[in-house]
Amino acid sequence: MGKPVTPAHQSPTSRLIAGLAITLAVVGAFCFYALHQIAGLRQLQNQIIESNRKDSLQLLRIQNNLSALGLAIRDMLNGDEPYPLYAWDAQFDRIRKDMTDALRLEAELKPAGENLDRQVYLTRTLSQFWISTDQIFTLARNSQESQARALLRNSLQAQQATLVNAVSRLLVENNETQQRTAARVGVIYDGVERQIYWLLVAALFAISGTSLMLIRANRTIFREIEQLSDQRSGLARKLITMQEELFRSISRELHDEFGQMLTAVGAMISRTRRRNCPPELTADLDEIRAAAQQALDKTRSLSQALHPAILDDGGLEEAIDWYLSVFERQTGIHVDLKKSGVGGELGDEMPIHVYRVLQEALNNLARHSKSAEAWVRVNFSHDRLLMEVEDRGVGLEFEGLEPRRRGMGMIAMRERAELLHGTIEFSRPEAGGTLVRLDVPLNAEQS
Amino acid sequence: MRLLWAVPAVALVLFAAEPGFRLVDVTRQAGISFVHNNGAFGGKYLPETLGSGGAFLDFDQDGWQDILLVNGADWPGHKTRRTTMSLYRNNHNGTFTDVTRAAGLDIEMYGMGVAAGDFNNDGFPDLFITAVGQSRLFQNSGKGTFIDVTERSQIAGHSGLSTSAIWFDYDRDGKLDLFVSNYVKWSEAQDVFCSLDGKHKSYCTPEAYRGSSNWLFHNRGDGTFEDVTAKSGIFDSTSKSLGVAMLDYDHDGWPDLFVANDTQPNKLYRNRHDGTFQDVAVEAGVAFSEDGKARAGMGVDSADYENSGYPGIAVTNFDGEMIGLYRGSQAGNYADVALNSGVGKASRRSLGFGCFFFDANLDGLLELLVVNGHIDDTVRNIQPGVRYEQPPHLFVNIGKQGFYDAAPAVGSGFAEPKVGRGAAFGDFDNDGDLDVLVTTSHGAAHLYRNDLIAPKQSLRFRMVGTKSNRDAIGAVVRVYYGSHYASLMVKSGSSYLSQSELPVTFGLGEQTKVDRVVAEWPSGLTETLPSLSVGRYVWTEGHGAKIDKTKPN
Repeated sequence: MGKPVTPAHQSPTSRLIAGLAITLAVVGAFCFYALHQIAGLRQLQNQIIESNRKDSLQLLRIQNNLSALGLAIRDMLNGDEPYPLYAWDAQFDRIRKDMTDALRLEAELKPAGENLDRQVYLTRTLSQFWISTDQIFTLARNSQESQARALLRNSLQAQQATLVNAVSRLLVENNETQQRTAARVGVIYDGVERQIYWLLVAALFAISGTSLMLIRANRTIFREIEQLSDQRSGLARKLITMQEELFRSISRELHDEFGQMLTAVGAMISRTRRRNCPPELTADLDEIRAAAQQALDKTRSLSQALHPAILDDGGLEEAIDWYLSVFERQTGIHVDLKKSGVGGELGDEMPIHVYRVLQEALNNLARHSKSAEAWVRVNFSHDRLLMEVEDRGVGLEFEGLEPRRRGMGMIAMRERAELLHGTIEFSRPEAGGTLVRLDVPLNAEQS
Repeated sequence: MRLLWAVPAVALVLFAAEPGFRLVDVTRQAGISFVHNNGAFGGKYLPETLGSGGAFLDFDQDGWQDILLVNGADWPGHKTRRTTMSLYRNNHNGTFTDVTRAAGLDIEMYGMGVAAGDFNNDGFPDLFITAVGQSRLFQNSGKGTFIDVTERSQIAGHSGLSTSAIWFDYDRDGKLDLFVSNYVKWSEAQDVFCSLDGKHKSYCTPEAYRGSSNWLFHNRGDGTFEDVTAKSGIFDSTSKSLGVAMLDYDHDGWPDLFVANDTQPNKLYRNRHDGTFQDVAVEAGVAFSEDGKARAGMGVDSADYENSGYPGIAVTNFDGEMIGLYRGSQAGNYADVALNSGVGKASRRSLGFGCFFFDANLDGLLELLVVNGHIDDTVRNIQPGVRYEQPPHLFVNIGKQGFYDAAPAVGSGFAEPKVGRGAAFGDFDNDGDLDVLVTTSHGAAHLYRNDLIAPKQSLRFRMVGTKSNRDAIGAVVRVYYGSHYASLMVKSGSSYLSQSELPVTFGLGEQTKVDRVVAEWPSGLTETLPSLSVGRYVWTEGHGAKIDKTKPN
């Protein structure tokens, strides 16, 4: 029997709550971290990558225009169009408007400080380009075609090439910025990835810790329950043993003492009557002797009920035979007994418990089954005793494998079976009714 | 929003699928046997994919629309036959007679498009035939013949791959000027080897060639023209133009031009009243598609298809690009409403060329006709879902609900897939409704007679300028009755390589009278006619309208 337990003292609730709190805190902290990182990424993408992309689009627009200007300059110099140079004025004007718009948008998109020198350089060079363009078209309009053509060849073409280079450099720088940003984004992603692994480890630890605590607490609880159960069983067995000892002692006392005394009283009355009993007392003496005999019968009967002497004298098998005849007589229920095997040495404890189980099973049968017939099968093998009590009555109501209503009798039967290290089962046979099956080992040491 | 349009459009297609007219192919019975020759011999020259156009014109001024069909020719070194353009004179009985030779037009040239206009104001329409190489100007003698005045008019010396052309009086001096679209810088000598499989030559896309500036010729009034391309601001060496239409997009009374460019931004030339133009296509929203892409603009027409007083624009594009249908506004800004109006989705898989607005069912709302056909006869091998021959579209105008394609419902002959290129309309039988001429690449031309299911009324004006150019090109006629309003402009050009008749026809449905008709002449004169009965009229500038006495057949 274990020590008395104080479950409140060892309650795992506080530790479990602490574990849960740690887990939640880890997840919460990570969520905050992840959201923070995502916000940072978004900002990075919006502010740098997106504006960079839009900026590059504008630069491409400018480059596209520069390429159109380059083609136009080439056409102008080729001289295969039958038109004077100023014919290209409208074309240049259209491109100029588009470039001015693109440059304005580009300047708006570019973050302050970045590529500032190159930006200024581009604006200045472009401005110079348009000044030269205006000069060329003015010369062309004033019939100074050859000067205009010379300026076109010597200056504007070179300026166009310079502008193409400047825009290309800006595009390259944008691309580099893009790559740098992509690398930064990569670092952030790596960080987030690492943090996810850390979170996983931390969460794993927290969950494992909490689980271990839970397992430990469970084990403690189960052990305590087991101890309590053992204590209860021990008490029950002790009670049953004590009860049987008490019954046996009372039975013996009744049989030996009261029986002897009442037998002596009867013998003395008989003797008195035979010797010198006046005739007027004969009738009284007979009455007294009858009363003494009745008291003797009652005493014997009570003694048998408390502990059948036949169990000690004739053994279990005879006791069963005797009890079944009594049961049949008292209840009118016919009992069909089948015995097989040979009962060997059963020890001191076993017969009374098996007998009590049979007694309780038949009592239940008589009280509840409404069956007119019962079958009792007793089988001895070299190591087991199997006893079955069966009827075709109303049967027990079951909840799973256990009868729904369990009275003290049933609990006592189970305790007795456990006392004998055996098992007892209650079941409903296919044909209906109730089957009680007691299975006990014969060579087990009795507690 | 798209759905809101779609529901009534679908409902109307289901319940009002009867367009109210049929287009009956009368080519053979009319005596038109024209077959286009693109000269293809396997060299896969770019111009082979483009031609050619046709026109309705009354060359003999008998009040009956005649037909001119432009033809290509065999390439030098690959001559197998002689092909020329064809001029068909209207016999006033539903048939035509080929008078090409008699008219002096049996001239072999690789022709593309045609613009008919009375540039010398003698009362007879002259012809400008665009071509690969030198385009030609033919002056109408008034005696049934044409004289090649290319040299004399000083238009000679302009060689190019010219496409659509238009007569219009941009400086409003009463003399028709000429705008000529050019596609790319191409010549046999400059031909590029393009291939889809790396082995066999295929037709090049315009990206393979440099653009070519369009030309503007100012009519000096003495039979000669001055090339004002440079000083008018029209010059643009990046242009790859195929179609041109005139309109007054900013409602200032001065003719503006819309030029459809292939793979380059379209141009909208605003007339600055001083002999120069400014391209405002980007600002007006017509240069690119809604997603900012320069599409493959082919044909174009402009008309007040919403009866709002503000002309809209239709531009045909490559397959996969949809037609651009631009809705006009008072401010002169445009929005592409093709998708919402039911025109976009229906034209998504078509490669459109000729297109024009006309009131086919005379219900007072302008329909949009579009002819389609791919440029590559082997397209099926590359794009299994796309065919070389494609059915045309006839988008019937159902007012606020937009358009639905009624091509299959107006006659099986019309809806038959063909390699459509040019398209024009004209009332060749003088029955009050508008008939259709369609040309195909390397195939037959088709004349479709419009047969209305139930009689409808129309009001038709042949405008004659006195102070304005004789053809009254640029005159706007506005008709008012009840709460209804409609307007039409007398136009040359439009569509693709083609020209429709000059008279304007208003469909009136059951209406037999209109309350008021106003003409705004290019000279600046505004003339109003009160209460007019339906019918055909000749309206002479400053002298009001008189009933056209030409008898219908």
